[in-house]
Amino acid sequence: MTEIRISGGAVHDPANDVDGAVRDVCLKDGKVVEDVGPGARRIDARGMVVMPGGVDIHAHIAGPKVNGARKLTPDTRRDDPVNRTSMLRSGTGGLVPSTFTTGYRYSLLGYTTVVEAAAPPLAARHVLAELRDTPMIDKAFLILMGNNQVLFELMRQPGGAASERLRDAVAWWLEATGGYGVKLVNPGGVELFKRDNGNVHSLDDHVAGFEVTPRQVLEAIGGAVDELGLPHPVHVHANNLGLPGNADTTLETMRTLAGRQAHFAHLQFHAYGRASGGLPSSRAPALLDHLSDHPELTADVGQVMFGEAVTMTADGPVGALLRDLGAEAWLNHDTEVETGCGIVPYRYRASSYVHALQWGIGLELFLLGKDPWQIMLSTDHPNGGSFLSYPKLIRLLMDRGFRDEEIGRANQRAIRRTALTDGLDREYTLNEIAIITRAAPARRLGLRDKGHLGIGADADVTIYHDRDDREEMFATPRYVIKGGELVVEEGELHRVEDGVLLSARAEFDPEVSRVLEPLFGERYTVAFEHYPVRDPALREPARVIEAAGS
Amino acid sequence: MSELGPITCMGCGLLCDDVTVETSGDDVRLRPECRLGARWFAERTRLTGKPPATINGEPAEVGAALARAAELLRSARRPAVSGFEGATVEDARAAVALADRIGALVSHGSLDGPWAGAPAVPLRGSSTATLGEIRDRSRVVVIWREDPERTHPRLLGRLGFGGPGERTLVVVDERETATAARAGLRLTWSRERDLVALSALHALQRGLTIRLDELASELSGLLERLATVHHVTFVYGAGLTAGPGGQRRALALHELVRSLCQERHAVTLELPAAPGTRSADDVLAWQTGYAGSVDFASGHPELVMATEPLDEFDVTLRVESGGSGGGLVAGPDAEVWIRTAAAGVSAEGTAHRLDGVPLALQAPQADSAPTAAALLARLLERVQG
Repeated sequence: MTEIRISGGAVHDPANDVDGAVRDVCLKDGKVVEDVGPGARRIDARGMVVMPGGVDIHAHIAGPKVNGARKLTPDTRRDDPVNRTSMLRSGTGGLVPSTFTTGYRYSLLGYTTVVEAAAPPLAARHVLAELRDTPMIDKAFLILMGNNQVLFELMRQPGGAASERLRDAVAWWLEATGGYGVKLVNPGGVELFKRDNGNVHSLDDHVAGFEVTPRQVLEAIGGAVDELGLPHPVHVHANNLGLPGNADTTLETMRTLAGRQAHFAHLQFHAYGRASGGLPSSRAPALLDHLSDHPELTADVGQVMFGEAVTMTADGPVGALLRDLGAEAWLNHDTEVETGCGIVPYRYRASSYVHALQWGIGLELFLLGKDPWQIMLSTDHPNGGSFLSYPKLIRLLMDRGFRDEEIGRANQRAIRRTALTDGLDREYTLNEIAIITRAAPARRLGLRDKGHLGIGADADVTIYHDRDDREEMFATPRYVIKGGELVVEEGELHRVEDGVLLSARAEFDPEVSRVLEPLFGERYTVAFEHYPVRDPALREPARVIEAAGS
Repeated sequence: MSELGPITCMGCGLLCDDVTVETSGDDVRLRPECRLGARWFAERTRLTGKPPATINGEPAEVGAALARAAELLRSARRPAVSGFEGATVEDARAAVALADRIGALVSHGSLDGPWAGAPAVPLRGSSTATLGEIRDRSRVVVIWREDPERTHPRLLGRLGFGGPGERTLVVVDERETATAARAGLRLTWSRERDLVALSALHALQRGLTIRLDELASELSGLLERLATVHHVTFVYGAGLTAGPGGQRRALALHELVRSLCQERHAVTLELPAAPGTRSADDVLAWQTGYAGSVDFASGHPELVMATEPLDEFDVTLRVESGGSGGGLVAGPDAEVWIRTAAAGVSAEGTAHRLDGVPLALQAPQADSAPTAAALLARLLERVQG
């Protein structure tokens, strides 16, 4: 293993209360260490900024949904080919890059860990195979459980919603798939959409055929995840995404999960009030107020960026809604027992009232939020825009002059409905950027070895030129070190690392199989004994994070 | 008599994973019964006297055959990688890696038959579902010019026909097929009229008035059936999409389904040409960004939209999994053949079912032959070396 001394850089390591102090960072055997020998490679980081490697808590990079988007959008990649080299696989970029290119580009951006935020458990083998073909980064995936008919059945049994059996089932599913955490997407609504194009609209609507409500699903699964002590709390994509007035649903969802740890995905898409004419307005301040009173809750923003995007979601009804708004192409896929999927290529226009409002609400969440440890950076890649737009987003947060220029280009009627024109002069510091892009996501994911540069941390480090143009600075790190190996230098990949799979494990009573097997037999078209993924080639190398309750 | 199982059967794209194999001498039976599956299994367990490899038809060591195949590929002006019948995800991953390295064209299927052309899905999208969704929700299933009773013998059973619950099977086909014999409603216009029929259905479904000839009563009958249900499925395949105009016909089907989705849930299910095709297509999509046929000649992936066979390849590598004839076949004129283990019989792995569901393959009968994936990895090393 290489020994490296990063010398003389301004270190931003907020998890360890280091805010720009000039100091050396030493790396050995893939870890941050106290010191290294005189023969260690020395990286002269004087005048540069040193941060832990980036951690993306919510993106869509692998699995049947992402692959469906690739098949749906070949034209978006035609002009962005990536040539093979003696070291690198070829591929294509665009909004939904091929797997190898995804890994390379995240690494070139200084990111070293990425979470695929919505995977059907039934497709775990597919997700794992894609992640195996996504190099350079450590990766994890969240399994979709908010519309799982087997869990619905368990919930409606007497005492089922709070039963050990339900907790065991959640833990069994994680073990069976290699997943890292639990995702709830439009609980109950996707099941109704697959049934007859239906949906739920409030937390107390009944899911026909199962007599459960979204509220019960939130309480039962959220509670199970909390009690299991999984490293990452339940990850919630609330009901009514994208609809005017949905902030009430979001607040009610937050209240329902009160007292439990929970992470809210792409909060911007759930932060709408109702303006006249059926248009949305901003309710970002109300959501932020609630968050600031509830430190057990966190969120990523899901910022939209003007330009091309590809919406892809397990929330099938949202896909159909976008289809009916005039989408040229729409892909829908229903996965038995578990979930749905809608994909629509999309364009966010600065001149559009709705799109400008979405853009403004995202910035409000960042700029009005009091605690950056609670509000993390994401574009819900590629729903709000590509992960490649993170540097521009960071500049919007750090550079008020640039932000004002961009605000000036957006639909002013929408902007006036936000706080952006109220003298909102906040500029993020480098430490705050380090919090929202690495320290907070790593902490929220329960990855104790990531997101910081303390002794024993993973040797995932990104070193930037300290440029005035923050977009340029964050788009092209000077160095990226992954697992203690120098992989990127001045925008060029120098070495390919596979990265590891991050999985979570919680103890469960194996007898739960006796309960699940007959329910599987009634509902799945896959044999129960063949459902769990056991192949070492797919599951390893992995780092397994044990649940606190285990 | 010996009994193996339950295993995942690779006899067709359905990948039934509840199969028990009963063998007694040369007699192979599957439970649940499936003649296609039994034949598939039997063919992959009768490998009498076959050498592990041949060069120009002469028995050879695997190492020597690999060396010759590598030599052919290294010196190729325009190589192509094709086949993938019975191939696993692991096989496809290794094959695409090799194609990337040598700048080959990759196509699942035969290089000699008609090519798929530009895909229809990017134009307007599609609506699809896994088998369980269709079984549990669709009350009308329309089979469009396919005969799954012959090509995917357990399909109708797995979609719920013959089981509890009322459902209607509609078959669009003028041929007297085994599937047509089970239809509750038959529509018998000729293949040449598919585009007209689909377009007319779409228009009628949207409430437009159009002039119709003899198709009118048949289309009305179908629309009446569709109007009574909340969920409908269209099953299609090469019978609709192959040949000139295939893209337009597929597009018309997806347009119709999209339009039907306004009033009810509607999905499609595509029957693949061979087991292994779906796996290869998915791997190509994630490794390159493109499905179908992909060309690496320029140093990066490019989508191939040809409809006629390309005849420019001087060296081809056909990837097939196991069996008496299957294996890696390289050359002009199939100069090199290397036997591979049969996925699902003597090699484990993963395959994607026709609806995209990934399934584990088991290896109930040991075989000393290496997997196609392992051979392709060795071939890549030699090509690079």
